[in-house]
Amino acid sequence: MSNADDFIRVDRRTTIKWLAATMAAAYTGCSSEEKYLGDEIPAAQRAPLLGVAAESDGVAYGGDPDRMNPVVPWARTMTERQLKTVSRLADLILPEDERSPAASAVGVPDFIDEWVSAPYAQQQEDREIVLAGLEWLEQQSQQRFDRSFAAADEKQLLDLVDSIANGTSREFTQQSEFFRRFRWLAVGAFYTTEEGMADVGYIGNTPIAGEYPGPSDEAMAHLAGVCKQLRLPIPAGQTRA
Amino acid sequence: MSEEYDAVIVGSGAGGGMAAFVLASKGLRVLMLEAGRHYDPYEETPMFTPNREAPLRGSGTTDKEFGYFDATADGGWQMPGEPYSSAPGSEFMWWRSRMLGGRTNHWARNSFRMGPYDFKPHSRDGLGVDWPVAYEDIAPWYDKTETIVGVYGRNDGLENHPDSSPGVLHEPPAPRVGELYIQAACRDLGIPCVPARRAVLTRPIDKRSACYYATGCGRGCSIGAAFQTTTSLLPMAMQTGNLTILTDAMVYEVKVDDKGKAEGVAYVDRKSGKHEAAFGRTVVLAASAGETARILLNSKNAAFPDGVANSSGQVGRNLMDTVGAAMSAQFPLLENRPAYNEDGTMGLYLYIPFWLYKEQARGELDFPRSYHYELGADGRTEPGMGMGGIADFAGSYGKQLKQDMRRYYGSFLSFVCRGEMIPNANSYCEIDPDTKDRWGIPTLRFHFKWSEHELNMVRHFQTATKEIIERMGGVLQSGDEPAEEVISKGGQIIHEVGTTRMGDKAETSVTNQYGQAWDVSNLFITDGGVFASKAHKNPTLTIMALAWRSSEYLAEQLGQRSL
Repeated sequence: MSNADDFIRVDRRTTIKWLAATMAAAYTGCSSEEKYLGDEIPAAQRAPLLGVAAESDGVAYGGDPDRMNPVVPWARTMTERQLKTVSRLADLILPEDERSPAASAVGVPDFIDEWVSAPYAQQQEDREIVLAGLEWLEQQSQQRFDRSFAAADEKQLLDLVDSIANGTSREFTQQSEFFRRFRWLAVGAFYTTEEGMADVGYIGNTPIAGEYPGPSDEAMAHLAGVCKQLRLPIPAGQTRA
Repeated sequence: MSEEYDAVIVGSGAGGGMAAFVLASKGLRVLMLEAGRHYDPYEETPMFTPNREAPLRGSGTTDKEFGYFDATADGGWQMPGEPYSSAPGSEFMWWRSRMLGGRTNHWARNSFRMGPYDFKPHSRDGLGVDWPVAYEDIAPWYDKTETIVGVYGRNDGLENHPDSSPGVLHEPPAPRVGELYIQAACRDLGIPCVPARRAVLTRPIDKRSACYYATGCGRGCSIGAAFQTTTSLLPMAMQTGNLTILTDAMVYEVKVDDKGKAEGVAYVDRKSGKHEAAFGRTVVLAASAGETARILLNSKNAAFPDGVANSSGQVGRNLMDTVGAAMSAQFPLLENRPAYNEDGTMGLYLYIPFWLYKEQARGELDFPRSYHYELGADGRTEPGMGMGGIADFAGSYGKQLKQDMRRYYGSFLSFVCRGEMIPNANSYCEIDPDTKDRWGIPTLRFHFKWSEHELNMVRHFQTATKEIIERMGGVLQSGDEPAEEVISKGGQIIHEVGTTRMGDKAETSVTNQYGQAWDVSNLFITDGGVFASKAHKNPTLTIMALAWRSSEYLAEQLGQRSL
């Protein structure tokens, strides 16, 4: 793939610290997370607003899974409230428009649950980031709008999402990393569906009898225009011997 | 096994598959031992299954490094119960495929001939060693191999990139937009950009169909278009009635008799854990450069205290891998480009062969060997999780993101460096004194270090690539970090070779030009271990050409009773 997976790697300790702070704020109902950074709140006293995701069951598919009949062998772990938040955020990122449906209409939330429930190191790392980020969003929504994230007014939510989406705010560096990672997951999930592939205009995965035809006339004409603009020789395609 | 075979072959990949085909076709009774399980690509290849049907949308995991649908049925960078280690200061990655057909089931199928310079590198620049053969010796074997394998490409009459004989190559597929765009810039810059050579049929051979331009070759190919031994050499060898294949048989020792001749091999039945032996008049090792060296080093006895065939001390030495680096760029002029079916052969179409031999000979370059470019222009192929990278690039969300995805999808191209490594004293493998696998067999420890030769080559690649990208009006996205950071890890390109190199003297090499061990006349090696140098050309085609030549020699010698 030319579009490399240049995902963000958040330092694990940073994430856990953030998670602890988020949980602490949830417990006290306090909006200032700064105040609690580094404070250890006993796990039993935490009361996350979205509930606590089930432990991952650690079931992997192994080095020789059935490739003809693929199945996801591990159980999903997110709570219903977490999933609702996922669904809302995924739809803010990928809303319905004239070309394709919203993310939640094509199973993106379930896929994100599948991803963060997987036993592999990369997915477990993402799990910490995603679960903490969802909880933070819920806290913010409840404190600012007095509504859960899943039920809040879209206009208000867009303000909230804007504050972490542009990635320039120093205040929300970790939240921005969460957003970026979540978007990466939602986009990958969405554009691999039939609807998503049709949206970007992927054409293929179909057998061609005879020679590969190469670019269409329209594609070649476009390329000729590109080369002309750059004063490059105009490609003629490959003459077959 | 009590039966004695004419040849016991260890491994079923490129080298073992070719040896089995040649020897069985000559009427020899052949036993092939494969460490992995039986594998049938006609039954097990998920052609057309979209990524979304696999767990995690088919993403690579530590269980399946190259993705869920990758053909590798049992193997990877790490395998449970079968460890290897890297010495302090080294980080070597060792890819193993435990399955019938080995790595040929999933390889990229890039099939370049080594050229005249590549066989005589020491004569050209005083570094490394020359091969005991010249290009002219191997050329006919390349023709034979390409004919049976099926390779698409074109004869362009290039320096050190030899043409094939007329009629041998298959027509290359028509290039796509990304390749033509890069080619136009290269023309302007005086850099060659020509059809690549890949072991993918564009016309049928016997029962193997021509490519139908869909589904990735790494999954395996149930129509036989993309070459793998499991749809070609192995069934052809089986058809002679002279080949017996035993899977789940992991060989760990070459057994020698009191006259110093190989009499067979010891192996573990991976299913039962039992230790067994198989006997033959000759033994052919084709277990991969690493595994073959491990077998020899673990084969210690009174006559061979340092391991069988190791009187030179060269077994495990001269470990080389291809130099890898990559850069990517986004091209504003490719945004919103017209859609068409860009799947094609799902691999390399055009490439940039090394073009500066004259400048190098004049001493104008600060690195002695060469590299080629593999061009990644599959921007509009099937979406996977990598689509998230386009969203990162766009940085937007909401309806704007959906528009941006349409705009940027297919506007990225990548440039991959594949270069030659020169053997050095810091790169080798040996038996790890502290570690054994789950059957109690001592494992390998790797030492690996790039030298300034390779790092300077990467720097040259980076400079040249930026020039191409700039001429195309592109915006560099990745790969411009210091060479020490972007250069691949040893083994990562999965072209490890050299650990049992061939030469013209028993003192400095493990085998002669036929892969015949200097110390044990009925022991042959037909995998990448015999490489005396690691040209930038991908090694598999050369492994097969040499294996064919060695096998003919073996059969001839056996016929004359000189083994």
